Amino acid sequence: MSAIGLTAAGDASDPIDRWFPVARGEEVVARHIVQTQLLGREIAVWRDDAGVVNAWENRCPHRGVRLSIGLNTGTELHCRYHGWRYASGSGQCTYVPAHPGQKPAAAMRVGRFGAGEAHGFVWVNLIEPAEPPHLSALASAQATTLRSIYARAPAVTVAACLLRGYRFALDPTGADDSPTDAALVASDAYTIRASVHAVLREAVVTFLLQPVGASQSVIHGLLETTGETSGVDADRLAVLRHHNAQMTALRDAAEELC
Amino acid sequence: MISLYDFELSAECYQVRLMMAALRISYRRIELDVYPNREHESPWFLKINPSGRLPVIEDDGLTLCGTRAILEHLTGRYDPGGRWYPRDDPKTRASIARWLEVAERLAATAGAARMHDTMFEHADIDACRAGAHALFRALDEHLWFAEQSGHGWLCSQSHPTIADLACFPDVMLSEEGGISRLPYPAIRRWTDRVKRIPHFATMSGIFSASPARSALT
Amino acid sequence: MRPQIESLLWDDWHAVADFEQLRRSGRFVTTLLDVPLALELDPETDSVRARAGGAPIASLRIKYGFVWVCLGEPVRDIVEFPECGDADRLLGTAGSVRVAVSGLRAVENFLDLSHLSFVHAGFLGEEPFTEVKPYSVESSARDGLTVTGCRVYQPKASPIAREGFEVNYSYAVLRPYTVVLYKANPVEQDRRDMIALFVQPVSEESCVAHLLTCYLRHGVEAAAVRRFQQFIFGQDRPILENQLPKRMPLTAGREIPVRADVASAAYRRWLAEAGVRYGAIPAA
Repeated sequence: MSAIGLTAAGDASDPIDRWFPVARGEEVVARHIVQTQLLGREIAVWRDDAGVVNAWENRCPHRGVRLSIGLNTGTELHCRYHGWRYASGSGQCTYVPAHPGQKPAAAMRVGRFGAGEAHGFVWVNLIEPAEPPHLSALASAQATTLRSIYARAPAVTVAACLLRGYRFALDPTGADDSPTDAALVASDAYTIRASVHAVLREAVVTFLLQPVGASQSVIHGLLETTGETSGVDADRLAVLRHHNAQMTALRDAAEELC
Repeated sequence: MISLYDFELSAECYQVRLMMAALRISYRRIELDVYPNREHESPWFLKINPSGRLPVIEDDGLTLCGTRAILEHLTGRYDPGGRWYPRDDPKTRASIARWLEVAERLAATAGAARMHDTMFEHADIDACRAGAHALFRALDEHLWFAEQSGHGWLCSQSHPTIADLACFPDVMLSEEGGISRLPYPAIRRWTDRVKRIPHFATMSGIFSASPARSALT
Repeated sequence: MRPQIESLLWDDWHAVADFEQLRRSGRFVTTLLDVPLALELDPETDSVRARAGGAPIASLRIKYGFVWVCLGEPVRDIVEFPECGDADRLLGTAGSVRVAVSGLRAVENFLDLSHLSFVHAGFLGEEPFTEVKPYSVESSARDGLTVTGCRVYQPKASPIAREGFEVNYSYAVLRPYTVVLYKANPVEQDRRDMIALFVQPVSEESCVAHLLTCYLRHGVEAAAVRRFQQFIFGQDRPILENQLPKRMPLTAGREIPVRADVASAAYRRWLAEAGVRYGAIPAA
């Protein structure tokens, strides 16, 4: 039940108990708090200094202030209002500055969601499962995460737009640099593969849609290329720019429909 | 000593306070009774700045009005290494000029939305917010690619320039005008970075960042 | 269709504008309890006319530098502060500020002691002096809440303070949306400076904070007082606007108080007992 791609194609009903990407792993940087949202629930995502990722309900259980405006100290989140401190992992309150000598009650704990990392993304599940995500192989280990694009359009609209047609260049910096029509396959409502190929080469973008809320979504993408590569590492930026441009155009098209 | 004609809650004045803090310049703050008494429109202040606007600095007999003139003056005089505004690097200067223009657009959109939402200033609030979101989209994309290029500042340098200080206030205060930064994760990382600039000064409504992780740990 | 707004709010006076702000612009548009208001100043007579959703408002007064309005039939007078009549006091308004949160949360924030060393660090409090010592709360249905015996360590309690010391605070909540703070004056320690917060409920999830200061004149200057209050409130505003839900829950379910929150817990209970629903998430 917690694997990606197991729901029937096009099945968007009750997505609450599944994993969604919410950020590229390398963007959940030290001493920072990512503010994101999934199915209308606000989430504070942060990494402690040991590398552990937390996905918490973005709300201090004291007086409801967003944890995302607080402080990531490397081991704890501190709420900005009264300085309450919450430990990485357990989400347990460890210190209430108004009562320094007292151990905070067990009830003083932030709401937690399931969090895990795979394929270069941080994934969140709104139910708090005991297991980390068991994600069926979406892509090879050499996949590159593309820039995530926020859309003022629901995931279902982005998916519909995408399935009407999508183009990208097989090799933006080399011989095959003009965008061509991709073959599109939806494994489910939130996972769509777009592939372009030529003799001996193939490029696949796996689109992973994050349903932020009723009218917003994020378009995440994983790029894999196989076969001969023409560019050197310096062209990596050019490839990222190309895909950013194509995904931005997709976003613009989806927003037009809204 | 430099005198700064100032208002705590003004994003433009804060740009100057940020610059002076970064350059470790001591200054005398002359705070005007801006809200609701509009002291910046009173006769005595109009003699100093006929446009009736803040910020204004007086430095050794010179009076400078407006953020761009002030930031250029302060770096020209007090930043001998040209770190914040390089003298002999036309490419970076051109880039800085571009972002100073963006800072002005941010003031006219996000800044105006904030003044409307907090202090009853007249504005076409929907147009201001839409304008701010369009700028934030461009800023987020630019900063993302800046990170991918190995730096994290607006002008392709390994350190911030006046462009970063000029854009920061209206971006950081955007939520006071109903403009959320949730859809702009690269901007959110950049604001943390700006807050960690040595000698960063806060203002009412802006809080400090936690200490950065030490490179040694 | 929303149920009628409770008489406790509808038939009471609310501050809706800073009189000086109205005088400068001649007209002022605002909203009270979801009703659009248009205020107009006649420059010849200095008198104010107000219309609520198009119809003229009968109950309108200028007091303490604010324009006050009652949308219904006022059952009692505007709150009265005898101190404001003292000749040796300076009265001032600190500028009206809009906040996108229920006004009830703004009142609760004003009563709160444990945020002083975080939100107002270096001014009204400082780490490590974060401990909130026990204080007293009395509640009466008619008179509201009285909070006394608050002791706050302040690093710079006054402009002339050379070192930090403990300042005595007390509060009174006089109406659901009206709260007053009394702070011992640094020069005349047996008399108190007063700051009143009149919160205008604009909608259930937004308000305007009108601040009145009533300080003893010793060494204070009106503009400096106003600047200081604007500075302090400017620090509170982003906290308030980041509170969810925007309407204030009246029962402890999802928001857990500690002993330092005795005043806010009493405030929420008092509101629930008085039947306040506007701006609140009532008890289930």
